[in-house]
Amino acid sequence: MIRCEGLTKYYGNHRAIADVDLSVGEGEIVGFLGPNAAGKTTTMRILTSFIPPSGGTATVAGHDVVTDSIESRRSIGYLPETSSLYKDMRVRQFLRFCAGLRGMGRAETKERMGYVLDTCGLEERAESIIGTLSLGYRQRVGLAQALLHDPPVLILDEPTVGLDPNQIIEVRNLIKGLAGDYTVMLSTHILPEAQMTCERVIIINHGRIIAEDTPEALTAQIREAETISITLAAPGERVERRLTDMPEVAAVRNQGNGVYHVDTSIGSEVRAEIAEMIVREGWGLLELRPVEMTLEDVFTQLTTREEGVE
Amino acid sequence: MRKVLAIAGRELRSYFVSPMAYVVLAFFLGICGLIFALTVTSPQAQADMTGMFHTMVFVALMMTPVITMGLLSQEQATGSIELLMTNPVRDVEVVLGKYLGAVALFVLVLIGSLEFPLTMSAFGDPDWMAILAGYLGVLLVGLAFIAIGLFASSIVANQIAAAVLGYVILLFFWLIGWLDMASEGVVGDIAKNISILENFQDFGKGIIDSRPIIFFISLTVFALFLSVRSLENKRTI
Repeated sequence: MIRCEGLTKYYGNHRAIADVDLSVGEGEIVGFLGPNAAGKTTTMRILTSFIPPSGGTATVAGHDVVTDSIESRRSIGYLPETSSLYKDMRVRQFLRFCAGLRGMGRAETKERMGYVLDTCGLEERAESIIGTLSLGYRQRVGLAQALLHDPPVLILDEPTVGLDPNQIIEVRNLIKGLAGDYTVMLSTHILPEAQMTCERVIIINHGRIIAEDTPEALTAQIREAETISITLAAPGERVERRLTDMPEVAAVRNQGNGVYHVDTSIGSEVRAEIAEMIVREGWGLLELRPVEMTLEDVFTQLTTREEGVE
Repeated sequence: MRKVLAIAGRELRSYFVSPMAYVVLAFFLGICGLIFALTVTSPQAQADMTGMFHTMVFVALMMTPVITMGLLSQEQATGSIELLMTNPVRDVEVVLGKYLGAVALFVLVLIGSLEFPLTMSAFGDPDWMAILAGYLGVLLVGLAFIAIGLFASSIVANQIAAAVLGYVILLFFWLIGWLDMASEGVVGDIAKNISILENFQDFGKGIIDSRPIIFFISLTVFALFLSVRSLENKRTI
């Protein structure tokens, strides 16, 4: 449904993306992952015909985004990164305006309006002025307009940015619920988010695609150690040596203030043993938790590896 | 066309949600009303709108850049242009929609100004055909002014800058008429032919001539064409 070949974009002399090849199949949910300024938004803006590429081609639902852009835009529901809504309009009014822009008929508008207001939990806010809504509700309005004309393809730029944890869960569930019926491409810089919602992840950095796989395979491939963070009230002098002596522990890093990061080999479950030892030694266990692998870690891993190969 | 009307309707509504529509109405009708009151109460008063129409053109000059300054610049500043331009609408539809929205407000202002000839007809016997010609002239001037203002708004992302740019372009077409008096020959002829005041002159007197009609319509179409090109150009940056 989405296909890019050799997509390149220059802003003046600055190259935002280079030779981006990607394809998203029908009904797939794909996460587009990368740190800020990696080229995610640029790619999405090209796909939605907001800006033309400097080189390469892109098609959405079989329509070229440059030469056949009205048709390709018709098949896309787009949630831009910054909530670019008209703040002086009421929610229902705004959605009706969007329906007009997409040439929807009266009956169709009425039916879809009811559906999106319900799906996005906006029924009670339908008559509110968008400018008075919280960020979370504005994001829902953005999603509602993207879904309004029932497009086969959804392009969502950072759909959960700025939301509180509850809202994030709601939005993620909403997106997961769209699987199968829609082809979804969503960008994020949060790895767990991609893991939770996407079937496949494409990682972009410095404008180039550096990895592409299922979230599980990707993390398994990258992860060589699991890290546990422990906080101690009264760490003794022997903490580091005692922990390193355990066979499963690869390394211990003192982070200061009684915090230690313990790297353990994959698949070993040593948290209970570590806790036991700490209690036995009387170091005063305050906290023990696994450290989630962050996107930054993935990047350091992927980029250093690549450089290593070269 | 439905898409154009959707954009125009949104634009007109937003004028009335903000104080803009009311300020513009009050400003136009207030200034014109003041001049009207001064002229009709003078001892030599006649049931003639010629002076009124010149006042209306002048007030339109001051007013239209304010009406048009936000049309496209605000969209660029807030980022809402991204949503607009990723919808299946052509750039020309965006420009026409915005244009018609502002024109609708201007037409409402003109309808409000009908109070002047109506008041006149209650006390005298004005020439309605001349008034019709005058209104046609003011409308044509307004259409051109709004198109020029829209073009200014398409160039810069700052509303104030858009208004100032609009004034600069309008004042150029306004003041160039003075060259006619200062210079002889070709320069004077050109200046005379592209001057807004010169072209409006006949309408004020109640004469409908094809030449000024073609002038104002050409100016309008040209400014709208430039706005579309400017919007297209925005995509490539």
